[in-house]
Amino acid sequence: MAKNTDIPNIPDLVRIENVNLDGMQEKCMEMTHAVYPHDKIYGPYCTIEEYINCPPEIIFEYLADCEHLGEWTYSTRDMKKTEKDDIWVFNDAIGGITECYCKTVANKEAMTVDYHCAWDQGDHLWMIYLIRVVPAQLVLNKPGSVVLWTNCHHPFYDNNPFPEKAPKDRDGWVGDAWDMFYAGHTIEMQNLKKILEFRHNRDNAGLTGKETR
Amino acid sequence: MKPVSLISVASYLPEKIVGNDFFINESGVETHSMFRSTRFRHHIGPDETCCDMAEIALSRLAEKININLQKDVDILITNATLPDIPFVGVGAAIVGALNLNPQFIYDIQSGGCVSFIFMMELARALINSSDAKSALICNFQTAAGRIFALPDNRKLPQSAVPGDGCGVGYIVADDSSPIMSIVTRVHGESAKDMFPIAPDGRKWWEPGFPALNLDFNKSKISLIVARGNKLVPEVLHMAMAKAHIEYKDIGALVTNQPNKIFLRNWRESMLLPEEKQVQTFDEHGNLFGAAIPICFERGVDTGVIKSGDKVLLGGFSHAGDFTAAAVVHWQKNKI
Repeated sequence: MAKNTDIPNIPDLVRIENVNLDGMQEKCMEMTHAVYPHDKIYGPYCTIEEYINCPPEIIFEYLADCEHLGEWTYSTRDMKKTEKDDIWVFNDAIGGITECYCKTVANKEAMTVDYHCAWDQGDHLWMIYLIRVVPAQLVLNKPGSVVLWTNCHHPFYDNNPFPEKAPKDRDGWVGDAWDMFYAGHTIEMQNLKKILEFRHNRDNAGLTGKETR
Repeated sequence: MKPVSLISVASYLPEKIVGNDFFINESGVETHSMFRSTRFRHHIGPDETCCDMAEIALSRLAEKININLQKDVDILITNATLPDIPFVGVGAAIVGALNLNPQFIYDIQSGGCVSFIFMMELARALINSSDAKSALICNFQTAAGRIFALPDNRKLPQSAVPGDGCGVGYIVADDSSPIMSIVTRVHGESAKDMFPIAPDGRKWWEPGFPALNLDFNKSKISLIVARGNKLVPEVLHMAMAKAHIEYKDIGALVTNQPNKIFLRNWRESMLLPEEKQVQTFDEHGNLFGAAIPICFERGVDTGVIKSGDKVLLGGFSHAGDFTAAAVVHWQKNKI
């Protein structure tokens, strides 16, 4: 640690210098419950994770192509490019007729694929799906990949900031389903796993997804 | 299977009450993660025996339900954490002291902190396979005064948590206060994670100093916590399913009481508010197997357990080698 560190001046840090092992164990026991209310686990953030028996590079390439959302998601369909080069627009059928805009921000080196999305408008893409593909060889000592997928509970989920952009006859809002995100996204993750494992098993090379359309 | 009923419970707690200072003065430690300190606990006296505790608890029981112990006990089953005399067990001495005339006597060593439920199961099996119609089941926790109070051990922070006491139950062959379900399970892989230990490494039967203590495998503390969090809710749910009851039907929850965290976690796992859980941890500490009958009686006396309630019992023993749960459809004093 640097000599002129400000660490000692920061209150309430739990480090072995100020909380001994028994104290740490005490804190950990206190925080460890047998059951947790759904809201405690999936209230502010919703992370799901899955093992997929398919090489990480293939999964990354598949996810990085925004158009594939039309395959593995439950309800996003009919992808079209907008006039803005990197933004796609499609229909999200859980909102009936609802335009969903999406930009894919992928980083091949980090194997991250983030979908920046929004319902009804493409100017402020605030629904951000953070996905990371990890080689399973590193973390589980076996071939394939672990896919981590996190959503943050953006305040817009609770209040639609652009109600005027919504279709007139639509009742619901995407954020109404926040408490079902764990379930819904788990189902979609299972779709992703089934699609990728099916194609990987069938043919280890040349997976594009588009060829099966 | 013939129905059997748990119709009464009674208890005795040794007179000697020990406060926290007794331990803190020696150890200088006020808290310990596995065994957070309680406020008080009872300690069995140096000349006090399981048999002495039984005499008082059993006469209280007999008085409550107006039975004649000499005539109305066909089966006597006991579990003592540290029996008065090794090899001999406790049952015969109780028979001698109270002039009982049981057909069967069993001193069981298994079941630990959930041995009350193991003994309920054994009593039910014996009643169903013989002409015996009544059973006394007795838990004796003696390890607090006999082991944890020793001067060498008082320095160890975990020694503050155990407390002594005796809890007894009376089981009869009818459906007046029926035991709706019993589930007992063995997890043998955990059997070696709690053990008597001496700082000099000698075997527990070898003489020497300093005193023996009871300890857990330190590297497995997280694992033991995880076992308690997983196995106890699991077995409680099994007993509920077997009794065909749901969360909303639980009148009260009574478990063993190893520490406040497990008490909280088990209650939360049954979706129960604090007022439906009977526990005496602050007052009595970890009563080992005696906790369930002692707390059951407390629940009845304080009105938390009402006649007609479905009482869920459960817990685990040692480092998780036994788990058990039961549902009793409690009806008060039907005799």
